[in-house]
Parts: sequence; C-alpha cells; structure tokens
Amino acid sequence: MKILIADDSRVMRQIVTRTLRQAGFGDHDLVEAADGKQAVDMAVAEKPDLVISDWNMPEMTGIEVLRQLRAAGNNVKFGFVTSECTPEMQQAAEAAGSAFFIVKPFTAERFDEVFSPILG
Amino acid sequence: MSEPVVTERDLAEMAEQVWVSYLDPEGVNPLVPHGDVKQLSEVHSTVSITGSWHGHLVYASSQNAARRAAAAFLAMEPDEVAQEDISDVLGELANIVGGNVKAMLPAGCFLSLPTVVLAPDTASYYPAAERISGLYGIWDGEPVSISMWQSVKQEASA
Repeated sequence: MKILIADDSRVMRQIVTRTLRQAGFGDHDLVEAADGKQAVDMAVAEKPDLVISDWNMPEMTGIEVLRQLRAAGNNVKFGFVTSECTPEMQQAAEAAGSAFFIVKPFTAERFDEVFSPILG
Repeated sequence: MSEPVVTERDLAEMAEQVWVSYLDPEGVNPLVPHGDVKQLSEVHSTVSITGSWHGHLVYASSQNAARRAAAAFLAMEPDEVAQEDISDVLGELANIVGGNVKAMLPAGCFLSLPTVVLAPDTASYYPAAERISGLYGIWDGEPVSISMWQSVKQEASA
C-alpha cells in the first residue's frame, strides 16, 4: 500500500515513519507532504491508499485538505495525527469522513491499534 | 486567587507524556521539576491560543537540551543534529503541549502554528499577557520550562 504522510514538521514526518515501522508497517511505500496544499496535490498525483495528516499546517489545514478531497470525489482513506484533540475537532473530522484520530504524543501500540485493521 | 485554567500539575502530566513517548522512552531520564522560574533559557518556542481563551504556551530550554531533544526525536546523536532540526523540534514541542492544553480550555479555541526563537524566552515580550502557571525543571542536567501566559484583557475581549 502507498501511504501519504502530511505534516509541516519534517521531524514529525520522520517520527510517524519510524512509529509505523515500530508498529510493524515498515514495508509500505511512503510519500510525504510538507503542507496542506502539497497534501492535496500529492493525494491526487500519487493516489495513496491511506493519508495520515497533521491538523495544523500552513497553506491549508488538515481538515480543509480532507474536505477538498471529498468535494472532488476522492475517497482515499484519511485520518489525523495531531496534538489537538478537542471533541469538536474529532466530530468535525468524523463528519468530513475521517477514519481515525491519533493524538500526539503517540506510541507504536496506538499506531498498531489504529492501523492494523486498515493495513493488515 | 482562583486556580489557573491550566496548572503546573497539568503541564507536568503533559510533559510526562512527551518524555515517555519521545524524550525518555526508557524512563531513565525524566524532567525533574524544581520550580525555579528564573532558570536559564537560551531558546524557546511559542504557540498562541485565540478564540474563547487568549494567551500563549511557551516551551523554553538551554541550547544543549534543545539539541538533545532533537537527537531523541530523530534517533540520532546530538552532534549529528542540524540547527534546522533543533528549530523543528522546538516548534513541535510547543505544538504538542499547546494542542493538549487546548483540550483543557473552553470550546472554541484556535491554536497558531509555532514560532521558534533561538534566544532566551526573555527575548519575547508578550504584551498584555501574564504568566499564570509554569513547569520549571531539569532534564539530563539541562534547564527546560513550559509556561502558560494569559491575556490580561481576557474578560474585556471574551
């Protein structure tokens, strides 16, 4: 499977990559986006099977990315890895079609729990 | 005076999560609070919170602590870490704690992207804001602090 990791922090993209590996998902094809607009462009161009997105990013926020993709008919599996975890954000994410919501800081166990049903 | 909306204890719990997840996964080198608000800082990062609550969350540390944090995040040796990585990690630390703080505030708050300043936290002046709580401690022999600043015009703007 191809996974798009969208986060404006290069270090956090590396940590997501490392945590995926620690959770046993290191064999997937990973691509990265450094802001919201790039995330939309790459979700279209790279056709990933899964998008793991930060919420708060320059250019477009993660929820704007998700809404734009859905509005364009793109139904890629999409979820958030974010430090922000208010109930209204989780509700907004679900309403927009988000499949999961992982709060930073996170562990490999949390990744395993969320991604095992998705990545197998 | 009533208890602040986010207390030192709350900040300590959030810091513990960050340390366990990224900075001290083995649990051998925690952040040890000592409460000295005047301890040295050489670099800092800030996220601002607006909406139903106005203020800032500031993460500050020595340059060495910032370099060690970046090394821990990246699973590298401290001398392999680039300045760009240090800035990135400082911003992410403020963002992670700020995001968790936001969950404790009234609904309807917005978190800014982090601002990183490679200078002591005294270099940043927060007009019309005062410190309401702070966690000051030592990590691996180096100073680290996390503080909350609230707009003194909160009631007027709410």
